[in-house]
Amino acid sequence: MARSWTRRAFLRAMGAGTAALSLSAVWPFGLKAQEPVRIGAVYPLSGGLARTGAAIKATLEFTARIVNEPHPQLAPIPLAEGAGLTGLGGRPIELVFADSAGDPATGRAEAERLIEEEGVVALCGAYQSSVTKTASIPAEARGIPFVNFESSSPTLTERGFKWFFRTGPHDGVFTRLFFDMFDDLNARGQTIKRLAVLSEDSEWGASAVEVEKQLAAERGYEIVAVEMYTTPPASLDAELLRLRDANPDALLGHQYLPGAILVVQTLKEMGWFPPGLVVHDAGYVLPDFLKTVGADGNYIISRATWALALQERKPLVKAVNDLHKERVGTNLDGVTARGFTGLITLADAINRAGSTEPEAIRQALVETNIPGEALIMPWKGVEFDEKGQNKHASGVMVQILEQQYKLVWPFDLAETEIVWPAPGWGER
Amino acid sequence: MRALGGIAALGLVGGLVAFPWLVEGSFPRHTLITLLMYAALAQAWNVLGGYAGQLSFGHAAFFGIGAYTSAVLLRDLGLTPWLGMWVGGLLATGVGLLVGYPCFTLKRHYFALATLALGEIARIAFTHWKFVGGSLGIDLPLRYLNQGAYMMWTDKLPYYYVALGLAALATAVVLVVDRARLGLYLKAINQDEEAAANLGIDVRKYKLVAMGLSAFLTGVVGAFYAQYVLYIDPKNTLILPISVKIVVIALVGGRGTVLGPLLGAALLVPLSEYARTYLGGLGRGYDYLLYGLVVMLLAMREPRGLVALLARLGERAAAKPAPQRPRPAVADVTTKTTKAGAEATPRGEGRHGAA
Repeated sequence: MARSWTRRAFLRAMGAGTAALSLSAVWPFGLKAQEPVRIGAVYPLSGGLARTGAAIKATLEFTARIVNEPHPQLAPIPLAEGAGLTGLGGRPIELVFADSAGDPATGRAEAERLIEEEGVVALCGAYQSSVTKTASIPAEARGIPFVNFESSSPTLTERGFKWFFRTGPHDGVFTRLFFDMFDDLNARGQTIKRLAVLSEDSEWGASAVEVEKQLAAERGYEIVAVEMYTTPPASLDAELLRLRDANPDALLGHQYLPGAILVVQTLKEMGWFPPGLVVHDAGYVLPDFLKTVGADGNYIISRATWALALQERKPLVKAVNDLHKERVGTNLDGVTARGFTGLITLADAINRAGSTEPEAIRQALVETNIPGEALIMPWKGVEFDEKGQNKHASGVMVQILEQQYKLVWPFDLAETEIVWPAPGWGER
Repeated sequence: MRALGGIAALGLVGGLVAFPWLVEGSFPRHTLITLLMYAALAQAWNVLGGYAGQLSFGHAAFFGIGAYTSAVLLRDLGLTPWLGMWVGGLLATGVGLLVGYPCFTLKRHYFALATLALGEIARIAFTHWKFVGGSLGIDLPLRYLNQGAYMMWTDKLPYYYVALGLAALATAVVLVVDRARLGLYLKAINQDEEAAANLGIDVRKYKLVAMGLSAFLTGVVGAFYAQYVLYIDPKNTLILPISVKIVVIALVGGRGTVLGPLLGAALLVPLSEYARTYLGGLGRGYDYLLYGLVVMLLAMREPRGLVALLARLGERAAAKPAPQRPRPAVADVTTKTTKAGAEATPRGEGRHGAA
């Protein structure tokens, strides 16, 4: 409670300061400048995902401060240079947080409360795809823009919603990354043609396998074997033996933590490691994974939404991350970097709308065009297609080398050379 | 006396009908809808878990079956949930009877374990079942939005009245069970199954009747939930916490009574919703602590539930100033039942041990 009051008081004071400064220049609008533009944010602030929710909240508050105060050192980022929304006479943005408790029904109720009682002009959230689904329904019904930063279910932008936008990538985009990387590797003289898949059999894995089969056919790859199991697997001996006999050029994996650990242990016992083990993040990027398998996890390649190593090639990433570390106390990660980028996109749209009218903001979102240079993401930019999906949302590939996740693809952003084919167990 | 009770009941109903008009805004209304929904669920559970004494920890399965049935019927056939919800209830009943038939030979905690497994099996099955969307769940078709004929609104008020109707229906069923011969049979079975059988009660038949009623009502409420949230997946319909919440509300309120589940929902649902709003936003889980503390305190002070607690307070208040005892009909029944039950249980268990 106390914290939100001080923040509000702070914003008021700042708004008043801005008003006083601009009083002579833009007199009639000067007084209005005090009133913040309220943006609702629905996140899981309690329950099993509370820690993730709290991290997102801290980063979004950090982002709002960059918008509201002058940060000339972050200049290419929209709204960083000036104070507040310059298109609205310098009005600051204010985030109004609500707790979804990770539950779709609660998320929806909170979104309604934000629209009705808190008078927010736009909504963002809600991390989990299931909550984003329900929380965006009242926004669509009442005609309020809802911008999602970090939910990955492809169906979210397939609903024909007029008021829903997503800045981040969805699962279909990630699977395409695998094939983009194979194409690049083949162009460099590798021979990657025969693929095998080991997947857990819930909807997540099963639907990813379908997409992989389809993309392989489209792009001239051959799927030589597919093995499915139910999580948590008791043993993967039979599955991996059959996959070894198929002798693939790369093995694609979708595993939760128990499966990921078992894959590595079984491969070591078998004394086999495919030329490339390419996986969807999930179990392979949790801290417990490397803690358990240690150096045996080396050479695995995983998808990622973002990597801190981007700062080697993009000075803007370093500038934002350093400030984030100073003010919030943590490095940015795949989730919070997407949150930062999404909120900047939304604030930029409100600024260009020059108004808090929902239809004006929606129109500005449709016309969004932020170039890649102004982003801390490995994307070519932010531009929405007719479904509200950012056309340029993409990801990166990391490889575990010396028990660290190293950015290895796209090659122009890589911090280190990709190791392909991976050395066998005897050569490590 | 009777007339007084009638007037009180009328006043209560009138108050409930008028209530949402007194509270503005979606959030208090959401809390009320959730309250009524869980009151209906706990009441449905009460028929089986309270009167018949068969503790079920798998009611989320019936809830989910109801939700999925009406959602699929709407998605694929365009059947209005006003009809789909009854189909969902019937399907839940079917599954309940199918599972109940073999499981009712199990006694007490063994039955509870079997129902626990039922809930988990349902969750896993639905997670892997493509036709119902697997772990991605089902989006209800939003083209029906704001069509009362399809039970889909953006406003909360209509949902409130549907939830009120469901809570009233479930309470009416429990009231009938309580007054009818069926209620006596179920209580007899609860107290001592073998004695009841010796008296000529067809134990399995009446357990199945209780299971059928309970599953049916739970399935119907599940269909309502799907309409209310407009998106269902195994994680918001079929998980253990839903089963447990239903049981906790019924137990805290007082199982085997007409008023118990209503009181339990009236205390615990607003407690968890508002504790989350005021304490939960910090990401520290104080709201869960508070919730757990209240449940523990109640379990320690009065294990028979709120109904018994209120009755005891009422008796104490009555014993001092006024010579005549106010007669809360329901509470009276409770105290008797639970007392009898408390005596019966150890005896019954002793016999199982001997056998």
